[in-house]
Formats: sequence, structure tokens, C-alpha cells
Amino acid sequence: MSNLTPKASSMWFVQSLRLLHHELRRGELTIIFLAIVLAVATVFSLTGFSGQIKHAIVANSTNTIGADRVLRMSSEVDPSIIEKSQSLALKSAKKIETESMAFAGDNMLLSELDAVSDSYPLRGELRVKTSSTQAESVIASAPQVGTVWVEPSVLSRLDVKIGDSIEIGLAPLTIAGIVTDIPDRSYRAFIAGPTVILNIADMPKTELIQPGSRITYKYLFAGENQAIETFEAWIKPQINESQRWYDAKAAQNRLSRILDTAEKFLSLASMLGIVLAAVAVAVASRRYGQRHQSTVSIFKALGASISHVRKLYCLHWTLLSCLSIATGLLVGYGLLLLGVNAIASYLSLADAPLTFVPFLTAIFTGLLCAIAFAIHPIMSLVQSSPLNVIRGFSQNKVARFGWHQLPPLLALFLLLYIFSQDLVMSAALLLGGVVVSFILLMFGRGLMSAGRSVGTKAGKSWHLALANLKRRASENSVQLVSFTIAIKLLLLITVMKSSILSEWEQQFPEGTPNHYLINISEAQIDPLKQFVAEHDIANQGFYHVYRGRLSAINGIKTVDEDKPDEQAANDATPADKEKQAAKKTEQQKSRQGMGRELGLTWRTELPEENEIIAGQWWQVGDDKPQVSIESNIAERLEIKLGDNLTFTLGSDEFTVPVTSIREVNWQSRQLNFIMVFNQSVLDKFPTTSISAWSISAQDRDMVYRFMADFPTITLMDFAAIMAQLNNIIEQVSVAIQLILILVVLAGSLVLIAQVQASMEERERELAILRTLGASGKLLRNSVLYEFVALGAIAGLMASVGMEIAVYILQSQVFNMPGSFHFQYWLVGIGAGAFFVGSIGMLSCWRLLNLSSVTLIRRTM
Amino acid sequence: MQVEDKTLALLQPLNLTVTAGESLAIVGSSGSGKTTLLSILAGLDLPSSGQVYLKNKPLHQFNEEQRSQVRAQHVGFIFQQFLLINSLTALENVMLPAELANLPDAQARGEALLAQVGLADRLDHYPSQLSGGEQQRVAIARAFISKPDILFADEPTGNLDSKTGQHITDLIFDLNAKEGTTLVLVTHDAKLAARCQRQVEMDSGVLTEKLEFSTPEHDNKTEMSAPQVG
Repeated sequence: MSNLTPKASSMWFVQSLRLLHHELRRGELTIIFLAIVLAVATVFSLTGFSGQIKHAIVANSTNTIGADRVLRMSSEVDPSIIEKSQSLALKSAKKIETESMAFAGDNMLLSELDAVSDSYPLRGELRVKTSSTQAESVIASAPQVGTVWVEPSVLSRLDVKIGDSIEIGLAPLTIAGIVTDIPDRSYRAFIAGPTVILNIADMPKTELIQPGSRITYKYLFAGENQAIETFEAWIKPQINESQRWYDAKAAQNRLSRILDTAEKFLSLASMLGIVLAAVAVAVASRRYGQRHQSTVSIFKALGASISHVRKLYCLHWTLLSCLSIATGLLVGYGLLLLGVNAIASYLSLADAPLTFVPFLTAIFTGLLCAIAFAIHPIMSLVQSSPLNVIRGFSQNKVARFGWHQLPPLLALFLLLYIFSQDLVMSAALLLGGVVVSFILLMFGRGLMSAGRSVGTKAGKSWHLALANLKRRASENSVQLVSFTIAIKLLLLITVMKSSILSEWEQQFPEGTPNHYLINISEAQIDPLKQFVAEHDIANQGFYHVYRGRLSAINGIKTVDEDKPDEQAANDATPADKEKQAAKKTEQQKSRQGMGRELGLTWRTELPEENEIIAGQWWQVGDDKPQVSIESNIAERLEIKLGDNLTFTLGSDEFTVPVTSIREVNWQSRQLNFIMVFNQSVLDKFPTTSISAWSISAQDRDMVYRFMADFPTITLMDFAAIMAQLNNIIEQVSVAIQLILILVVLAGSLVLIAQVQASMEERERELAILRTLGASGKLLRNSVLYEFVALGAIAGLMASVGMEIAVYILQSQVFNMPGSFHFQYWLVGIGAGAFFVGSIGMLSCWRLLNLSSVTLIRRTM
Repeated sequence: MQVEDKTLALLQPLNLTVTAGESLAIVGSSGSGKTTLLSILAGLDLPSSGQVYLKNKPLHQFNEEQRSQVRAQHVGFIFQQFLLINSLTALENVMLPAELANLPDAQARGEALLAQVGLADRLDHYPSQLSGGEQQRVAIARAFISKPDILFADEPTGNLDSKTGQHITDLIFDLNAKEGTTLVLVTHDAKLAARCQRQVEMDSGVLTEKLEFSTPEHDNKTEMSAPQVG
């Protein structure tokens, strides 16, 4: 090289640029470009979006609990605790959370009720708009006595406006503003309804709080660090089983764990699309390598060194990768903005900064796709022998298995690991993916072979189409697997949305409860009983409900499963770690508990839909304290007949023996209880009752009018619960749809790449057929039917897969008999045939439009 | 032929009539225009001017679809590169022209023809499983299945060794004699050309008759007058 002029030594650079320019203009690199853009854009938008959401919810909002520490319990706090906090100069606030009906005229709405003291919130911002025309919300604290802040949907659903009065329980309250930000908003999946915030001083007027009501008390504390820590050290030993003490970090950890899980699920699911995009790169680059063989051989024959060729193609490929990755980032950014815009009404991400993580992850993904999946064809291209010029160019088939398949597999594993952060899971997914693909492949090959024999009798076009399909079976397999998965997702969403839930609802016999009544006081029971008897409303009677915890089994204390996390987040100092270790040993000595409060009840007679499988139900008049336990829980907690169970109800504790084990039909929508006692155990505690009614459509208005006289009773429509379930399914299916779109796009790229790779072969076949006198219609149909058959086979396999998945859902999740959904098989097969047929025809369009003279001249 | 803005005259004005049952060899060096002439005679390509009749049908006035139909009804082909369809078995390749022409008994005829060319036991084999000579034998069986009136062969032995080539030549002429087909053969192999009843020579697009047999009848013959591919 030393004797070359500087200009000649950089000739490869100029040639490389010229090559890129040419190839891009001729559209030869389009598939590779699009595949990398797709992978990069997907990863960037997904990682960026979830990162921003996490930042906005968790990190950026100064507080997610409205305080420095929160004490949560199901009863009022001991005054000594508040006194202690005051002595340490801590600020405190109180919040009561419950669910209740809100009434306005004839309208009623189940809502989340937050009753807060004047000092609320201690940290973070509560923001409200006091008129509907106001653009910016202002920082506020508790509403004034006699007024409420409400979430926007309360206005539309109760048909009221700011200044109107609504009734909460027995208290009429005026809407003073619309709340836009709640510092300690709950992110649970099931929330009764929109939030109504009232002043805690109004709570007694509502008469919602009665013994046994389902109410959460939160005591919020904030102040100097030192004081908070002193207070924490003092209060922690006093926290009992039914109370929780937590800081913002613990709450944030909980939240970010949920977000992490969602993100992990989405990114692993989108891996499917990314893998397909990478396969498209692999197919297209193989064809690229073969097409460029002659160029490289001629270059070499004319005296170009290996290093010249290597540099030329390395730069060419690098430029292509950079261009694709940059475009991918731009497209990804666009998608990210769309996403941010779409959820703007729920969550403002305007202030959440973009970190480097999405950039790095996306660029890395792009590089992996561009390098790992293309390295083998490009390497062998550079190695092309100049002798080829004389010997001719071989369309050498790549060996099926060999070292060259290692880089793509390693790259896949690396990508899985980046998204899952879990070695075992990555390995399992890779292996699982290979196994599932293999099964689909074998199944698909079988169908293609079967189609081949059927096709022989099905007319000329079909015959040729299916013969081609079978011959290209191994190339077709990738598309087959990807379209099968895409169509299966599509079918599953459709069936879930339109069938499973309604089938589940329909299987309940007439008279199955469709309304639940909660928070019924002792005095209200008689008028209600009279009402249902008068109007012949099917009901299950009234159950007294007590909230209590299972605190010990045979004298051994139970521990909650979810407590350790929270503790870990709180305990940071070495001393705390020691405490944690001590707690661990303590856990080993203790028994597994329920980890939550239970609804307890007493009965004299065995409830309907319950069956005793061990022991005996008590005789009427048997006053000896005892309990009957549900069989699944008994099994899980290893509780046997005769075991002594200790329960905590508020500050009371009692121990009773297990005298029977019951099997309960949870699917019946009846009121069911895990622990049922005899009357003498619970009778002495004050409480409220619940009931379940079956209200027919024509009785509905009448019942609702009657219930308006009992505003402290919460009336829950089962349809509303179903609506919430539907809403969750809707949200899940949005996520699945995103994956679906990605898989369809990537699968189409693979299909187009595959068609391009087979273009010379197809051209030759069409020329032969044309020469032998085949009509244009026959040629078009044979190409069309080939793709239609491929799509239909994918649709058929997807339908079988969907049916299996639905059966598992029905039998395992919904406990209902399985059913077939043949109408969706047609949808699956039809959609597959139509989509793959269209994409295939489009990619062969140029070929089919060539005049036969051109076609024949090219081949002969 | 129009190449960008230049016109390239591949064939000079010529007159050629081929009578039914006749065997004609078109000889000449590479690039002399033999294959172009064959393409035009078979209705695969069109002359830029002039007339081509096949079985009294004016191919020069026909569109692609009509010419396809004529080929399916009356023409058989054998190529230097065999040109079998890789996704079809030997038998299916042979049956293809009969199916395209909607002839009955395609399968029985296909099996019989493959037996005649000595491939009775290779019916279900794919082209990739056959040797070059075997592939050309399949192509010969394919050429005869639709009982074509005229068979066009383009360097049928060009890709084969001399022994296999000899065998293939024998097969073509045997079947041709048995079926009474008109044969138009393009070759630069003088020995092969010599087996035809009549020879014409192409040189730079100019056709000269080596032996004269033609009669100016228009029935059952292919005639071409003044085609100028330019």
C-alpha cells in the first residue's frame, strides 16, 4: 500500500460510499434497513416509555404516600401514638379510606372515599381545579367542611357540576372542585370507582363507619429526619399483625416492582418481533451475499486485495447499520411521543426526562441484528474466490448446522438476557422458543405435505402452488411460525373479548346473585328482609361479617408472605439487617398464614353450595366455640381437624378448634367464607352484614329507588365488576395488540425477504410455464394460491393453538366446561389466507407483470 | 431489438417455410441469431416486422395469451438447460403440457412416455435427484406428451457429454419418427444437424438454405416471411 498515492489508498472508501448509494437507490437494502429500523424503534419506544412512566410515578413525584411514614390499620389508632409524635414535633394527618355510594338525584355511583384531615397531605401535592374552565390546577389541602373534591368522571357519571350537591352516606356535600393530582393515589387493578375526597370532620355525618365496616385508617407522619427515626424506633415494636408501617420507598418499591413486571413481560413478548426482524436481516443478507459474489470475484480478479474488499464491505455495512439505527431511533421517538400523548389524560410524562438506557439498549439491539445475523454471509462474501470468474458462480447452499449459527443464537440469548435480567429465564425462553418453533415446524411441514397430495387433484393452479409450497417448506417454516403466532394472538384477543366472559356469565343459573349489599347495619336488616320477602327477590340471606386475622395455628404464630419485602425496604442499617436475620429464624419457627385480613362469619346451618368433606357440622344449639375451614386453604396452610386456630379481631383474640372442613363452590357467585364459626364465637362482637340478591331487569329501578333510603349501604352491581374485568382485559389486549402489530410487521418482512430470495427461481419457473403455453391467469393463480395456502395453514395451526389456550383458560381459570369456537377458526384461516396472500402477491407483483417475452428472454 | 436508443438488427429479411413431418436443422455459430429465430418461429417472441404462421395461425397478430394457447395446443420444446420445474416430480413435469392443453389420460400417457425414455422407475423423483441425461430424457418425454404438431429443440445435447448426447439424439429422432412430428432443431453440432432432412445456416442474421426440400404450401406448416427483428 505504501507506494500507492493517498488517493488510491482511500479508494475503498469512495467505492464503499458509491456502493451504498447505488444499493439504496435500487432498493436492494430495503428489507435489511426496515428490519433494523423496526427492531430499534420497538426497543427504543418500549424501554423509553416504561422508563418515563416509572420515573413519573415513582422517582419524580416527591412522594407517593403523602408523608414520610404511614401507619395503616383497620381501626382507630391509640391516642398515645399521636401524643408521642407531637412530643417529637412531628406533623401528622389522618386519612380514612372506604368505598361507598355517592348519590345525585336518581343517579348513584360506587366511589372510593378518602376522608382527610385539614393537614393532609404532609408531603407531595394535592391539586384541584375549582372551576371547570380553569386551565391550571392549584395546590390544595383537605376540602372545607361540607364540601368535596371529586375526580372528573364523577361529574359525568352522576350528571352534576361544580357547586352541585351530592350525598355520601347520610351527608349532603357540595362539590367544590375537581381533583387532578392525588399524592398517595392507589394504583390497584380493582378500584371501586372514581375518588371523592371529603373532610374527615364530615365523616360522622355520613354514618358510614359502623362496627365491622370495611375501613382503612391511615396515619401520616412527617418531620425532621432525626425525629422521624426516633419515632420509628419507638413505634416499630408496637406494630402488630393487622397493621403496616411503611415509608415512601417501600411503597415505591412495590409500585416499581409491578411496573418492572409489566415492562419485562412486554419486552420479552416484543422479543418475538425483534427475533423475526433479525431473521429478516439474516435472509436478506444471505441473498445480498450471493448477489455480490460476482462483484467481489471480479474485484479480486482485477487485483483488489482481501483487505481492500473487506474494508469496502465493512464500511458499506457499517454505514447501512448506522443509517438504519438512526432512522430506528427517530421512528422510536415518534412512537414514544404518540404513547406519551395517548396516556396524557392519566399521567403527565412531560417532565420525565429520557435517560440513556433506551438509547443504549436500542442501539445495541440494532447492532446485534445488523452484525450477528449478517456476519456469516458477509464474511463468506469477502472470501469469494477470484477463480469464480472462470469457474462460474455457485449458489452454494449454506450447511444447515455449523459454527455460523452460533453468533445469532448468542445474540438472541444476549437480547433475552438484557430484557429479562435473568439467566435461567433467558435460557428457558430460548429453549422453549426452539421447542415451540420445532413443534409448529413439524406440524406445518406435515400440513404442507398433505396439501401437496390434495393439490395434485385440485386443479392446475392449486397443484403448482402446493408443489411450490412443499418444495420451499424449509424457507416457508419461519413465516409459518411467525404468522401462526400472530394469528393466534389475534384470535385469542377476539375470543377473550367476545366469548369467554359472556360464556362464563351465561353459565350461571337463573337466581344467581347479581348484586352485593355491603355495610348493612343491624337495624337495617329487618326492613331489607321484609322488602325481599314482599317482592320475592331471590337472595342468600344476611351474613354478619367480621374482619379478623388468623394469628396462630396450634399456638405457633403465623407470618405473612408479603411482609418481608416491606421490611427489607425499611431496614437498611446493619443493626436492622441483624434484626432481619433474627426475624428470618423466627419465620422458620412460625407457620405460614393468610397474609391478609379475612372476612369471618357465623352460621347455624351449613351454607348452600358447601359440602363437608371431613369432620361434622355443629348441631343447632351447640355453644362450644368451633370453626369450619375451607378445604383448599386447609390444605395450603396444612391445617387438620382438631387443630386450634387463634384469631385476632381488633384488639381481641380467641382460639377455637377446627371441627369440620368444607368444600366450597367458588364459581357460584354466592357469598362464600373461608372460616365459618358457630354463633357463640362471634355473636358478642358488633358488626355489619352483607347479602347477595338476584335482581331482575324489571325490578331494578324499583330496588334502586328503595335502596336510596339506605344510603349507608353499598350496593355493588355484579355487572359493574364484570365491566371492570372487561376493562382490564381491554388494557391487556391493547398490550397484546402492540405485540401483534410488531409480529405481523416483522413476519411480513421475513416473507418479503424470503420471496426476494426465491425471485430468480420463481422467474425461471414462470418462464418455463409460459413457454409450455400456460395462460397468464394460471400463472397468477398459482402464485396467489401458494401464499393463500401458506396463510391458511398458519391460520389453521393458530386456530388449534387458540383453542388449546382457551381450553386451558376455561378449565383452569374460569372453572367452566370447555367449548369449541369454530366460527373463529374460519376467521383465523380467512385472515391468514387474505393477509399472507396479499403480501405475497404484492412482493411478486413486479414478476407477474413482466411480459412473458421478457420473462422468456431472461431465462433462455 | 431496441436497446436504449439504438436499434439492433438481429435478423435480416428472410423467408422460411417448414412443411409438416419435416425435420429441419438451423445451424450457425454463437450469436448468429439461431435462438432468436427459433423463439420467433415458436411464438415465444415477436418479430418487429414480418409475418409468422404456425398451423395457419398468424402468430405475429396474436397477443401473449393467444400465442400461449397456440403453444399449448401445437408446440413441444426441448432446451439445452432442460428447464424442468424443480418443485414437480418427473412424472408431473411430463404431465404438465398435457394438463395445460386439457388432454385426457395425462397420467397414463406420461407414465408410458417415461417408460419409453427408460425412466419407468424414476416417476416420483424430483429433478434435483436426476442426472443431466435423465433430466433431458424427462424433458423429451414432456415435449412429446401433448402430441405436438411441431417440436422445437434448442441445442438439446449442448449440456451433455458426447455419449449421453448421442443417446438423447437417438431418443429424439426415434420418438419423432414414431409420432410423425415436425422437428425444428437449433444446433452448432454438424453431426446432429446431419441427421435432419434439411439444414439452414444462420450467419449474422442471414439465413441460407443448405438443402432445398420446401414446397410453398400453407397447410400444416410454419412459414415466416421477411421477419426483421429490429
